[in-house]
Amino acid sequence: MTPPTLRGRVAWIFDEANFDVDRILGFEAMREHDAATLARCAMKSFDPGFAEAVRLGDLLIGGPNFGYGHPHGPPMAAMRRLGVAAVVAESFAPLYAMGEFASGFPQITCPGICRAVRRWDVIEVDWACHSVSNLTRGGEVRFLPFSAHERDLVAAGGLFNLLRSAPESSRLSAIDDK
Amino acid sequence: MTDPSGLTITEKILSRVSGGPPVRAGQEIQARPDFVLAYVFGGFVKFPRLIRETFGVERLTDPQRFALFLDHNIPVTDHRLEARMGEVRDWCAGQGVAIHDGEGIGHVAAAELGYATPGAFAVHFDGHVSQLGTYGTLAMGIHIGLYEAFARPAINLRVPSTVRIDLTGTLQPGVMARDILHALIARHGADVCNGAVLELGGPGADTLTLDDLQTITGLAMFTGAVTAIVEPTRRSLAYALPRARLDLSPVRSDPDARYARRLTCDLGEVRLSVAAPPSSANVHALCEVLGTPVQVGYLGSCASGRIEDLRAAARVLEGRAVKSGFTLNIVPSSRRIMIQAAEEGLIARLAAAGAFISSPTCSYCYGAVGALAAGQTAVSSGTLNIPGRMGSAEAKIYLANPAVVAATAIEGRLADPRPYL
Repeated sequence: MTPPTLRGRVAWIFDEANFDVDRILGFEAMREHDAATLARCAMKSFDPGFAEAVRLGDLLIGGPNFGYGHPHGPPMAAMRRLGVAAVVAESFAPLYAMGEFASGFPQITCPGICRAVRRWDVIEVDWACHSVSNLTRGGEVRFLPFSAHERDLVAAGGLFNLLRSAPESSRLSAIDDK
Repeated sequence: MTDPSGLTITEKILSRVSGGPPVRAGQEIQARPDFVLAYVFGGFVKFPRLIRETFGVERLTDPQRFALFLDHNIPVTDHRLEARMGEVRDWCAGQGVAIHDGEGIGHVAAAELGYATPGAFAVHFDGHVSQLGTYGTLAMGIHIGLYEAFARPAINLRVPSTVRIDLTGTLQPGVMARDILHALIARHGADVCNGAVLELGGPGADTLTLDDLQTITGLAMFTGAVTAIVEPTRRSLAYALPRARLDLSPVRSDPDARYARRLTCDLGEVRLSVAAPPSSANVHALCEVLGTPVQVGYLGSCASGRIEDLRAAARVLEGRAVKSGFTLNIVPSSRRIMIQAAEEGLIARLAAAGAFISSPTCSYCYGAVGALAAGQTAVSSGTLNIPGRMGSAEAKIYLANPAVVAATAIEGRLADPRPYL
């Protein structure tokens, strides 16, 4: 199943390589458990007005190896709470991407994206064509297709939903019997 | 048409656990982990309830595949957490799942306890499990994907490509395994292995100790790697096979295996280095930062605290003293290592020099104990140096090898260990 086209503004561009998402909240805030508090704290050290400025459906842009370091869940949980729909990055640190896909949060690997957009441009992610289009300035960048499992995770809204809904396949049972 | 080229270690192991024909990098497979390892930390203190109530798993099939490690927040300082840990102990007893309680930091204890079975496929929540790759085990952190491994017999996975690094030469005095990782990052970037497995081999690998190799493989995530694996050697097999929990054949890459990239690292050219704040990617030569005032040192975590690290620190500190006002926390990373360190007299020598020595625990690594205050600077052979990792976000952390940590403790400033060796 192809997810609906994403269209939203570029809420922020993390253009530095190896960005550690823990910096979005800082460690003090990460110890909070309340989702609303986390969301309010997001990006304070980058743009104190971020939480007020971001809108439902906005997207984040990342540089190479985005998600470097220990991939803790709260920073992107805060971003989702603020309405961010996906992250589009040059490349992702693998453990970070696994964790976010398992939360149903699309992580789109799109080499060339940092040079193709500016903050607050409106962009569109076309899943069928595997392209990100800049609707504000024009131009289009191709992204790498998801694996079937990544597609399933995004469609189900995360791993927990997928495990609850998907019956074990006969292939899985076959492996189990070995 | 069948691909005529050979297979990497990773492709061979994943071929076996996916139960079908040989698999290649990029293929999407379902793979049955030989071992599902986890620690009891964060959300995982609630996982027994979660897998029962959310996924409807009353009993695990093949409970011998699973193992839990109590290593974070040990010793427990909160009675509610102790109650949760009791719940986990009861669950393990009821399911017949091994629980390693007080054995030390899980990734290190896992190697000692035979989960580092050459040729096996292991998964964990945490990426530092990659250090089991020292023994030819494909050990991957899969984040909360670990729940899939609890709820299903197999997990969905894309077969990763491999970046092969051939090691040549030998390390110079004072230079240690951590400096090799720093050298790879400094020369090729912190994404040199992005999305791939870091495979180590070559004649230089045999000049390193198994502890050294565990340090490098355990820190593989900081090269962007999915995990790391070392071609089995007589030495690694001599350690791992007698402990192995499964009867599997060790696996090597074929000579004509297809790599995403192949690099050489001459160990003789590796220099003393640090990862300066705020990131493991921010590598500098030690000489650039020598003399930086430091108040706290930490030698421990799954990234160090092994016997070779304790020996290196003891050599530097032998007959010397930690500078007045400096706190040096040394944490052997497993119970067995602590015993060995005691038998070798290392604990006595380190304590005599003024080090504060704790039993094995992860807690120092993230500031649950030994927390840094605002304005302090630490030197650490632990995992991370992002602001706030070990306490206040206003503290700074330099990551360096254990000999540098010990020399810095003597001088109270970032110091070169070589004059003390």
